[in-house]
Amino acid sequence: MKLKVEFKNVYKKFPMHAKQNDKLLNLFSINRKKQRMEFAAVKDVSFKVYEGETIGIVGLNGSGKSTVSNMLAQVIQPTDGEIIINGETSLIAISAGLNNNLSGIENIKLKCMMHGLKNEDIERLTPDIIDFADIGEHINQPVKNYSSGMRSRLGFAIAIHTDPDILIIDEALSVGDSTFTDKCLNKLNEFKKQGKTIFFISHSASQMRTFCDRVIWMHYGENIEFGPKEEVINNYVKHTKWINGLTNREKRRYKNKKLEEQNIVNSEIGKRQKTKYKVLPIISRISLFIPLILFGALVLMGY
Amino acid sequence: MFNSVRQVIKEQIEHRDLILRMSIFEVKGMYQLHYLGSMWQFINPIIQISIYWFVFGLGIRGGQPVSTSVGDIPFFLWMLMGLIPWFFINPSIIQGSNSVYQRINVVSKMKFPVSLLPTIKITSNSFQFFILMVLLLIVLMIYGFFPTIYMIQLIYYIVCMFAFLFAFTLLSSTIATLVRDYQSLLQSLVRMVLYLSPILWNPAAAGVPEWFTNILKLNPVFYIIEGFRDSFLARQWFFEDPVYLCYFWSLTLTLLIIGSRVHLKFRKNFMDYL
Repeated sequence: MKLKVEFKNVYKKFPMHAKQNDKLLNLFSINRKKQRMEFAAVKDVSFKVYEGETIGIVGLNGSGKSTVSNMLAQVIQPTDGEIIINGETSLIAISAGLNNNLSGIENIKLKCMMHGLKNEDIERLTPDIIDFADIGEHINQPVKNYSSGMRSRLGFAIAIHTDPDILIIDEALSVGDSTFTDKCLNKLNEFKKQGKTIFFISHSASQMRTFCDRVIWMHYGENIEFGPKEEVINNYVKHTKWINGLTNREKRRYKNKKLEEQNIVNSEIGKRQKTKYKVLPIISRISLFIPLILFGALVLMGY
Repeated sequence: MFNSVRQVIKEQIEHRDLILRMSIFEVKGMYQLHYLGSMWQFINPIIQISIYWFVFGLGIRGGQPVSTSVGDIPFFLWMLMGLIPWFFINPSIIQGSNSVYQRINVVSKMKFPVSLLPTIKITSNSFQFFILMVLLLIVLMIYGFFPTIYMIQLIYYIVCMFAFLFAFTLLSSTIATLVRDYQSLLQSLVRMVLYLSPILWNPAAAGVPEWFTNILKLNPVFYIIEGFRDSFLARQWFFEDPVYLCYFWSLTLTLLIIGSRVHLKFRKNFMDYL
């Protein structure tokens, strides 16, 4: 089996900035503070996924599911660790990058274009996409007037027709009604038969059971279990039941304890300050401006 | 030193087809909700031309022609030669700088080279520019100014203009994505440049001291606009002023080198800075 996706000790940390200014200083790495608080949305996640597998990702709100899916789609880059992806990915999220001012039809054309499809292919695919999205006359209306269900239908229809080989579905199916969900699941089964790799992110245990091969359970940024679906889903359901059984105070205490663990103090910045500046790159950087300054001075003097 | 420049330019050449198609799409989409549609591409400049002509030509100058080294030129024509490139430069700078911020949400979810976004804005604005240029040629001929051999160097100055806009918007779109204040600042600065360039008034004839004109000349738009006039009025060849030529190109190249470096450095992390 061919390796499709591999996460090697992947971290995604978000600096906890107090002010907008800190963000800017950080950009040029001139933050003088030795230490900085960071929030690890994803903490030391490693897994391997092979061709043709369907992987479910479950977890509570804020457990890092969407961060993982964004990293899979290469929307954001990991802070630490390595991600290996062999193939083209396509992300379907509820608001998957539709242009609100354009009509449905134009969005289809634009998105296909940006995916690098040729004009003939777009002409050929458009009726299929319209048919699959099944939103009737609204296809000629601007997307800003769409309901959330219609938006996710259109986004889904476009994404599956651009022929990706790794598909990431981020709770997009939870918005559509059951007829549309069935249609999508059928289409996804078709993809499965073609040997495509699918990541499926959802709260719904039942959809996972019918559809996935293996399941990743994300819990407060960590991948605490990765294995066959029955095992992991049962443990997950058991765990949510246990949490629901707690009193409100216990719940809060548990949550705070877990969130505390995600805060990391980063002292790397202090280290980076100590590295000596090399002379050569600085000279080459300055020399870049020499012709500009020289000719600028000549123009100023009226040569 | 030139690796990043090479990579950015390679991306443009590889995707030239995509750039063209997306620019056409952009032009179509721009005036979609307008009743007059793409007619606005010409109504807008006509309104602006008439107000500038009224205020500067009739009001301030009192209808006096502009005296140049090749004789007197009606102010209306002299102004058009500056305003028409400006109608291209102005929106290209503003929209090009905003393009990455505006589209990053859509674009980051697919494999799409972000460096194309400013170029798409420049290209979509250039359709209007080329049509207005043809109209300007017709107006010039009506006034009795027929094309000379100097018209050939118009190609050179159009290349200059595109090179400068590309280099500038590449750098500026990155900055505008990281620091939002920059876009507001840029809008004010661009408005200032309109009055600091020889578009609506002629610094040479206005009795401005020479040292001050030399400062104004550091503005690259000055070079482009005067170059357009040189070509239309057959004043001089572009190589007759080598120092100014070298200044313009070293500025453009410096912007391009810094711009492509900064762009490549930050583009993977654009989403983190939103």
